[in-house]
Amino acid sequence: MIPGAPGPVTLADQDAAALPFLADMYGLQLDQLTALLGLTSRQCRALVARWVSRQLVESGTLSPGPPWVWLTRAGLRAVGTRYPATPPALPRLAHLRAVTAVRLGLESVAAYRDGGAHWRSERHLRARQGGRVGGRDHLPDGEVHWPDTPSQGPAPAWAGECWAIEAELTPKTVARTAAIMREVLTRTGDYGCPAAQARVPGEPPRHARVVYLCSPAATGTVERARDALGSLAARVEIRALPYSAYLASAR
Amino acid sequence: MIPRAGTVLRVAARLVRVGAVLAVIIGLLPVALVAATGMAVAWRQGWRPARLYRAAGRCLPMVAVWLVGTALARHSLWPAADAPRLAWLAIWRHGDLLAAAVLTAPVAVPVGLLSAGWAWSRRLAAMAAGAGGRSPAAAASFDARQWRHQVRAARARIAAPGAVPLLTARGDFVAGAVIRAVGHPQAALTRLPADRIRSHQIVIGGTGTGKSTLLLRLWAGFMAAGLARHAAGVAGPPLLVVLDCKGGPDARRLADRARRVLREAGARNVAVWPDAACLSLWDLPPGQLVTTLVDLVEHGTGGAAYYTDVMEAVVTLAVEAPGGPPASAAGFLARLNNGWLETVYAGSAEQLQLVRSAARQLGDIGLRFRAVFRRLGAGLDGPGGLGAADAWYCILEGTAEMAVAEAQARALVDLLASYVTVPRRPARQVLLAVDEFSAVARRLPIWQLFERARSLGLGVQVSAQSWQGLAAREDDRYRLATTAEGGIWLLRTPYPEPLVALAGQRPAVDSSRQLTGWLRWSRSGSSRLHLVPVADPELVRGLDTGQAAYLHRGGVTFTQIKRLVAGAAALPAESARTRAPAGPTPATAPAAAPLPDVTGFLDEVFGSWP
Repeated sequence: MIPGAPGPVTLADQDAAALPFLADMYGLQLDQLTALLGLTSRQCRALVARWVSRQLVESGTLSPGPPWVWLTRAGLRAVGTRYPATPPALPRLAHLRAVTAVRLGLESVAAYRDGGAHWRSERHLRARQGGRVGGRDHLPDGEVHWPDTPSQGPAPAWAGECWAIEAELTPKTVARTAAIMREVLTRTGDYGCPAAQARVPGEPPRHARVVYLCSPAATGTVERARDALGSLAARVEIRALPYSAYLASAR
Repeated sequence: MIPRAGTVLRVAARLVRVGAVLAVIIGLLPVALVAATGMAVAWRQGWRPARLYRAAGRCLPMVAVWLVGTALARHSLWPAADAPRLAWLAIWRHGDLLAAAVLTAPVAVPVGLLSAGWAWSRRLAAMAAGAGGRSPAAAASFDARQWRHQVRAARARIAAPGAVPLLTARGDFVAGAVIRAVGHPQAALTRLPADRIRSHQIVIGGTGTGKSTLLLRLWAGFMAAGLARHAAGVAGPPLLVVLDCKGGPDARRLADRARRVLREAGARNVAVWPDAACLSLWDLPPGQLVTTLVDLVEHGTGGAAYYTDVMEAVVTLAVEAPGGPPASAAGFLARLNNGWLETVYAGSAEQLQLVRSAARQLGDIGLRFRAVFRRLGAGLDGPGGLGAADAWYCILEGTAEMAVAEAQARALVDLLASYVTVPRRPARQVLLAVDEFSAVARRLPIWQLFERARSLGLGVQVSAQSWQGLAAREDDRYRLATTAEGGIWLLRTPYPEPLVALAGQRPAVDSSRQLTGWLRWSRSGSSRLHLVPVADPELVRGLDTGQAAYLHRGGVTFTQIKRLVAGAAALPAESARTRAPAGPTPATAPAAAPLPDVTGFLDEVFGSWP
C-alpha cells in the first residue's frame, strides 16, 4: 500500500509497462504515452486520470502541445525506484521529448525486441552515480544493451554490444562534441564504478558505438566532430531525429 | 413625345416597388445589414444556404437568453418587442450607434442570417437554372467563380492547424476539407465512417495529382482507426499490406514516407519488403503452395498446356512428399530430382509411376524454377510472416521487371489470402492496397479477391493512373468499380466518364430567356427539367493537385486533401558507408574485430542517412 494513496494500488498491465518507462524518462507528453501504450488519445487521458486519482502521477501543461505526465513520489515507489520526485525541468523538456522519441522508435522495431535489447536511461545512470552526481563524467542520454543470446530468435550480428545514445537538438562546439564522443567511446567501466575503473587502458570499451540522433541544426557540428575523431569515427553512427522528437512549437 | 399610359403605369409601379423595398430596408436596417453581410460572406466563401441557416440557428440561445433576461428584469416581454423602436430612438436622439446595435442584435442577427440564407438560396437557384445574371454566360462564370471561392475556403481550412484531424472523436476518418458536395451532406470536412476505409476502394489519378498524399492519408486513417478499434476490444489489430507495383527510387521514397506516417498513426512496426524484411512463401499450406508455385511460371496456351500439366504434377509430388513441404527455394529445387523423388515415393506405386513418367521433364522444370527464384530474389524465401508487423510496404519492380513484379504480386496476394483465411479471435482488420495496379494487372486477378474478400474481413484498395489502368479488360474494370462499396476517389484524370457515370445523374432545371436588347431580357421564357451527371466530368478533369472527387452512393464530394506531415523522405542506403581510420590514436584499444554493420537496423528505425 502506498502511503498517502487513497486505496491499495494494483498495477494493471498498462501500468506495469508505462510507469517504469515514465520513471526512467523523467516524464512524457501525452502523445508519446499514447504511442507507447497503443491507445487512443481518449483512452490515454482516461488512464492518466486514473493514475492521477491514485496519486501515482501528476499532469500539467509544461510546454506547447499535449500535457506532460510524470511520476509522483508514490508512483516512483510503486515502480521500485529511488529517483527524486520532481517534475521535468522546463529547460530540458525539448531534450526529454527527443530522447523519449528515440527510445520509442527503437522499441517499435521488431529487431530490437527480437534481439532482447534493453534501454538504460540517463536517469538510471545518474542514479547509479549516486553521491558522485555533479561530477565531470558525461552521461549519455541512454544506453542500449544487446544481450549475447536473445530469448527468442537468432542473435543479431551486434549481440553483446552496448550502445550509447545521444540526442542532439542544439549544436555544441565541435571541440566539446568531439570530447564527449571520445569520452563515451573510451570509457571502460560502468557508471557508478570506482573512478580508477572508468578508463582502464587495454580493457574493451564499454560502448561499442555511440549513436547520435541529430536535429538539422546540430547535424553539421556532430559530423565535423566525428571527422575529428580519427579511427574512433568508425564507431559513431549519425541519424536524423524522428519528426515526433520535436516539441509542437518546434515542428 | 407623350408616353403611353401603360408605360407610365409600369414605371410608376416599379418606383413604388423600389420605394417600398427601400422603406423596408431602412426600417429594418440592422436586419438588412446582417443579411447583406451574410450574403457577401456566403458568396466570398462559396457557402451553401444551409450554412447560413445553421448560423441563424446557433443564435437561438442568444435570443432565448435575451428574452429571459428582459422578462426577468422588466417582468414583461413587451420591452423585448419594443427594442427595435428604442434602438431607432437612440440613434435619432443621441446618435448612439453602439446602444442601437446592442439593443437590436439579438433579433437582427438571426433574422438577418435567415434572410441572407433565403436570398442566397434564391440566387443560387436562379443561377443554376440559367435564369439569373446579366449576360448569357453569367451562370457558367458564376459557377466557376463559386468553385474558386470554395477551393480557397477549403484550402484555408486545411491550412489551419488542428482543423482537420485524421480521425474525429467518433472515430470517423477525415480526408480533408469539403470544396463542394452534391448528393452528400454539406459539411465542412469530408468524413467517412471508419468501416468505409476498411472496404474496397478505388483511387484513380495521374502522376502529380496528389494520389500518394491521398493514399498515405487513407492508410494512416485505416491504421489509426484500426488501432482504436483494437484498443477498444472490438476487433483484432490492423494489418496493412501495400503493394507498390511501380518500384524504383520513387517507391523507396514513398515507403520511407509511409513508414513515418504510419508510425505517427500508431503502427509499432512497418516492414519494407524486400529491402528490410522477408516473407516466406513456404509457409503456405501445401495445396496453396502448389498452385502458387505453378502460377509463378508463365505458361503458354495450346500445346504448352501439356507441359503445364506435367509441371503441376511434378510440383505436387515435390511439395506433398512425405516429410512435409519444402522450407526454402533451395529445398524445393533439391526435390526436383529423379533420384530423390523415387526414393521418397518408393512405397507408393502410383506416385512412383508418376515420377517415372515425368522424369524426362524434371530437369527442364528445375531450370525454369531456378530462373524464377533467381529473378524473384530472396524476399520470398523467409524467414518472416505477415503477422510480424502492423504494416507491410512491398516494393515490386513493375516498371523495370514487369514479369517479376507480376509473379511477386501473385505470391504476396496468395500469402495474404492464406493469412486471412486462418481463423483468429478476434479477427485482424486487413487492408490490401495495390498501388499502380496496371503494372501487375495482367496476371493478378484482383477482382476475384475483390468479390470474395469481404467475407474474409479483407478490404482491397486499388489505385491506378487511369480508368484503363484498372484492368486489362473493360468487363474487369467495371467489375472492380461496381464492387467498390467503400467509394471511388477520382483525382485529376483525362477520362473520368466511366466512373462518373457510376455516380448517376440528378435532375436540373434549364431555363431559356429571350434577349430583347444588349444585356436586357424579356420577362418571359421557358424552363425544362433534364438530367445532368452528379459529378461533373469537367470539374474532375480540371482538379488541381491535392483535390479529389469522392464518389459514393450516387453522390460526390469534392475534397481538398489534407496532407499528413511526416519526417522528410530519405533515400535508401545503397551500402554501408566506409570510413577510413585516420587521426590520433584512441586512449583505449578499439574493438579488435571490425564492428558489425548496423546500418540496416538504424535505417529501419530512424531512416537512412545520406
